Amino acid sequence: MPIKVGIPRALLFYEYFRLWISFFENLGAEVVVSEKTNKEIIDNGVKSTVDEACLPVKIFHGHVLNLKDKVDYIFIPRLTSVNKYEYICPKFCGLPEMIKYSLKDVQNIIDTNIDFRKSKKNLNKTIIEIGRYITRDVNEIKKAFKNALEQHNEYHSLMKKGLLPIDILENNYIEQLNEEVKVVLLGHPYNIYDSYSSMNIIKKLRGYKLSVITCDALNRNVINQNAETLDKKMFWSFGRKILGTALYAMEDNEVCGIIYLSSFGCGLDSVIADIVERRIRRSSNKPFTLLTIDEHTGEAGIDTRIEAFVDMIRWREKNENNLSTHRKFIYPN
Amino acid sequence: MKEIYLGVDVGSVSTNIVAMDSNKNIVDTLYIRTKGKPIEALKMAFMQIKDRLQRDIEVLGVGTTGSGRHLAAIMLGADIVKNEITAHGVAALNIVPDVKTIIEIGGQDSKIILLRDGIVYDFAMNTVCAAGTGSFLDRQAERLGIPIEEFGTLALKSKSPVRIAGRCAVFAESDMIHKQQLGHNQEDIINGLCEAMARNYLNNLGKGKEIKPPVIFQGGVAANIGIKRAFEKILGCNIIVPKYANVMGAIGACLLAKDEVANTGKTKFLGLDIADSSFNVKSFECERCPNMCEVVEFYRDKKLVARWGDKCGSWGNIQVTQDNEKLA
Repeated sequence: MPIKVGIPRALLFYEYFRLWISFFENLGAEVVVSEKTNKEIIDNGVKSTVDEACLPVKIFHGHVLNLKDKVDYIFIPRLTSVNKYEYICPKFCGLPEMIKYSLKDVQNIIDTNIDFRKSKKNLNKTIIEIGRYITRDVNEIKKAFKNALEQHNEYHSLMKKGLLPIDILENNYIEQLNEEVKVVLLGHPYNIYDSYSSMNIIKKLRGYKLSVITCDALNRNVINQNAETLDKKMFWSFGRKILGTALYAMEDNEVCGIIYLSSFGCGLDSVIADIVERRIRRSSNKPFTLLTIDEHTGEAGIDTRIEAFVDMIRWREKNENNLSTHRKFIYPN
Repeated sequence: MKEIYLGVDVGSVSTNIVAMDSNKNIVDTLYIRTKGKPIEALKMAFMQIKDRLQRDIEVLGVGTTGSGRHLAAIMLGADIVKNEITAHGVAALNIVPDVKTIIEIGGQDSKIILLRDGIVYDFAMNTVCAAGTGSFLDRQAERLGIPIEEFGTLALKSKSPVRIAGRCAVFAESDMIHKQQLGHNQEDIINGLCEAMARNYLNNLGKGKEIKPPVIFQGGVAANIGIKRAFEKILGCNIIVPKYANVMGAIGACLLAKDEVANTGKTKFLGLDIADSSFNVKSFECERCPNMCEVVEFYRDKKLVARWGDKCGSWGNIQVTQDNEKLA
């Protein structure tokens, strides 16, 4: 019987799932991914999480509960830092503890510390520590990781081409990639890619014949170059990505609008969304809107805002087109 | 026979209907309280409007807006269903063509809409919190035992300023109670509340936005002259409150319906007799998957006409007419 490893379909799943799944599978483990977020998962998560946590963390708890009786281990690494001098939201550092103390009957957790703040020197040590749960063979672990990393890079290169995790997960490679009107959707990956908690925002936008671009479609260098222009280094990895993308989108003529999806009570977003909004208002005239999600299931609020936002984009477009013909009329050359 | 267009705005607090003739003149307006029962409210509104307009009219088109716009559209057979922001923008442009800023405060929503060169250029809506909207004012008026209509005039009588916290409705209420216990005048407290609301609105929605005159103030709360004055004080410019400020959403819906019908050629309106139809709603929790969607079934004269609320579409997409035959 192979060892069964559970991976919750939440938080950084959408960023790292190829890496994690291939790594464990290469080692001969059977990987079980929790079901897609649904009402039951959210209800269970909300019931068992500390009250102050944000919605994505509550959803994560629900996914862990969804897995707990199906697997031998649940993979909940302590993600502290993945890039030099950068951090991930502090809630990720305490995630294994939060799970252990809130969900008393979940005990077999792979909670290896992932911390590359100073350097990636301890990368090998980290992956061996994780791999040890499955096998003792160090060479096999290294080989498994190397292959998994290739898969991970392939996944990210697909996203650079404009595919989104939902397309890749659903094997839907042809859905509306090149609509003329492009909007940039900003936010943490677990907010924008979870179709339940985001109220299906990506499909809704595509339904209005808009191409949806996220941080993942941009080259890391482009993001970094733009993020460098800030007065001070943005030390949150995801905050940096979002800000870099926003600054890029402000200047890109093809982008017709910028939407920021944030979860209520997010500490990082309270800073980043504010900087993004101020920057956009100060030095660009692109439409921008901030949408906030939380536990509510009534979609009227988000639908109204999206509809009005799209109306505004179309209206502006029509107006600009009219204007140019108008000018031609006034100044015939 | 008079030809008219109808605009319907079903909001959280009020349900409004506007009847407009082909030359964009307003023939009649109606403002009633939704009281949490949008279907009954809309039926009631149609009974009243039917009585008032008599029989010598022909409805050429109907538009719906507001948070209950989809429900209203199914009940009436609307030609166009539009969000409140676009509807308010269209209505304001019709009254003041060079309007640059719209302040709209309704029952649960508040919005700021910026317009440049006659198009909606930017907007913002309050986020998850409804502090500083009409329903909060209603509650305070009730608590103080003052009719909401007199709220604004009382604020104008204030002589010395009293500061009330405006960021959160709960803080505002406790602040008001404290100031009452300290013995401040009611007028001063009410004025403080009006100023707090204007301050909070501009901090929250106006953040980073260039608010340029002409400024229009519309929505139910625009009837409150105290808040109008508070905005004028902070912004330092004159604020226009249009004659039909409380039904501007419905006016927008009317204008949009007129344009829509000009394109399609024919209205889908089911007729004023819908006031006599019976409407029922049944809802159930679907048990086909763990999402447990709350599905709503809508019946007109005991006939199922629409279903919604499911995420997967397996209920909503069923041809309701076919299904209907099966049920019968």
